[in-house]
Amino acid sequence: MHTTIRNLWMTLIAGFALLVLMGCQRGNNPSADKPTVALVLKTLNNPFFMDMQKGAQEAAQKYGVRLLVQAAERELDVEKQMQIIETLIQGKVSALCVTPSGSKEIVPAIVKANRAAIPVLIVDTRVDSQTLREAGGKVEAFIGSDNFAGGRLAGEYLAKRLGQKGKAAILEGIPGHETGDSRLRGFKQALANYPDVQIVSSQTANWERDQGYNVFQNVLESHPDVQALFACSDLMALGAIEAIGAAGKTGKITVVGFDALPEAREAIQKGKMDATIAQFPIQMGAIAVENACRLLKGETVPRDISVKIQLVTRENAGSDLVSIH
Amino acid sequence: MKFRVSLLLYSRQFGTLVGLLALSTVLWLLTPYFLTLSNLLNIAEQTAIIAIVAVGMTFVIITAGIDLSVGSVLALSGVIMASALHAGVPLPASLLAGSGAGLFCGLLNGLLVAQGRLPPFISTLGMMSVARGAALVFTEGRAISGFSESFRHFASGKILALPMPVVIMLTIYFIAHVVLTKTKLGRYAYAIGGNEEATVLSGVNVRLYKAVIYALCGLLSSIAAIILTARLNSAQPIAGIMYELDAIAATVIGGTSLMGGEGTIWGTLIGALIMGVLRNGLTLLGISSFVQQIAIGSVIILAVLADMMLKARNR
Repeated sequence: MHTTIRNLWMTLIAGFALLVLMGCQRGNNPSADKPTVALVLKTLNNPFFMDMQKGAQEAAQKYGVRLLVQAAERELDVEKQMQIIETLIQGKVSALCVTPSGSKEIVPAIVKANRAAIPVLIVDTRVDSQTLREAGGKVEAFIGSDNFAGGRLAGEYLAKRLGQKGKAAILEGIPGHETGDSRLRGFKQALANYPDVQIVSSQTANWERDQGYNVFQNVLESHPDVQALFACSDLMALGAIEAIGAAGKTGKITVVGFDALPEAREAIQKGKMDATIAQFPIQMGAIAVENACRLLKGETVPRDISVKIQLVTRENAGSDLVSIH
Repeated sequence: MKFRVSLLLYSRQFGTLVGLLALSTVLWLLTPYFLTLSNLLNIAEQTAIIAIVAVGMTFVIITAGIDLSVGSVLALSGVIMASALHAGVPLPASLLAGSGAGLFCGLLNGLLVAQGRLPPFISTLGMMSVARGAALVFTEGRAISGFSESFRHFASGKILALPMPVVIMLTIYFIAHVVLTKTKLGRYAYAIGGNEEATVLSGVNVRLYKAVIYALCGLLSSIAAIILTARLNSAQPIAGIMYELDAIAATVIGGTSLMGGEGTIWGTLIGALIMGVLRNGLTLLGISSFVQQIAIGSVIILAVLADMMLKARNR
């Protein structure tokens, strides 16, 4: 009867699922008695987080722990990230390293890990401290770039390039994102020392490349005399330089990005962009796992661990100095 | 004849259930962490939001329609409710404001489809963009966070060890099942999806029922928004992106035909659970999110393929 046919199909589906599972099991033995450290990233389709994963894997090998790396499909899907953390808690991981997709929204998930007595380390993006305090949550350590200092570095460079005088525009990240907000604050603080540098426009391009293009195209329309741009991420800067190219102004506008993506470094070498701020995600991932391991051994770790940052310009854009370690 | 149809629906639902159980058995064999009470409750809780959205989607799809705006409507009603709460509006009134927004968007969809005769794909695609934009304008792109304990109870509360989202989900499913099987609205939904012209000719006010069904779909999105907002302690204007696809997937895995005229509420619940179980199990096994997408996509295709083969056999 059709019930049997249907059942047959469902068995096939289950069999397929089994194959998928088996295929992906390669060397991942959950019953191994090594402690498991989980790294929950914002996404895995971004070179920054792929580097972080790489660093974490190296450290996990060095310290002899099993590493689980998980990420939501979309970078801003904090609810999916929460689901992943809840599931990892069920899977009894020993420690959790998280790059929060939302500084406030991640707090309920941290509280759940706290209740399960799983230590939480925050990487790259800070948790909103007030929300965490109000919820009674606890974070063992923060490992990340000093985005504020990076923003200042960008501001100092931009002011110098303009000869301390001129009109600048800003492309912001998603409002309320701690990372972008810190970069922006650092940048504005640096510019406060140069009263003749005027910010004519400061708008969000939501971290996205295509929006970087569109928003900056509008800025060029409304402020044709703009001389410099600070984008809070390279992706937005890369979008903006296309808009600058389309307006025939390549090389006439100083563009400073953030993140030192390979593509941005290439653009700097080609003279389409002027500078970016390098972060060191490989180190970030490695330091996160290292400190998780120290916590598991019962050692204490510093609460706030800064990973170095560096200004990248035409002089050093091609060198290894800024690439990996 | 009637007997045969009900048997068919029954068996379809039963087949999906067998699929869910088979999947669970595989996971139980592969990881010791899967089959624990706390993990099963965890899955149910994680599935609740999509499952609730999928109830509305099931009604709409049974009428041979589609609603692409559910995720955006969820975000809009979430931020409206959240800002009401922040403005000191009492909890019940804030919930009403949020639900009202959902109902309104859904009704607008319904009127565009029923009165305006727009294809559902187009009108709800438009609404998807309009509601998302409205949520972003309303909040200036920022999330609204931090709510009272009594509001957060919608996510963190428990009734007899069952998490609140699961209680709300089950209640909605019971009501929806009764509405779909025992009321005029339900019977006409099947009739419209089966043969709209015949339904019109038999004197049913098809426009009215269509409008009501889309409005219900919007309302259910706003109920999901309550749970999501309470869960994250934050209402984000960018919440619920791609939820329409998850809800459609749950519905079709559950045996509802995109051509309309057939489907069951419990099938949709099982469909949502299959996706939840799959995600949970693959994460427990440490399988990357890239591979998870392949697995979920394959299950959708295979489930619908199975349905079509079955139908061809019955002809």
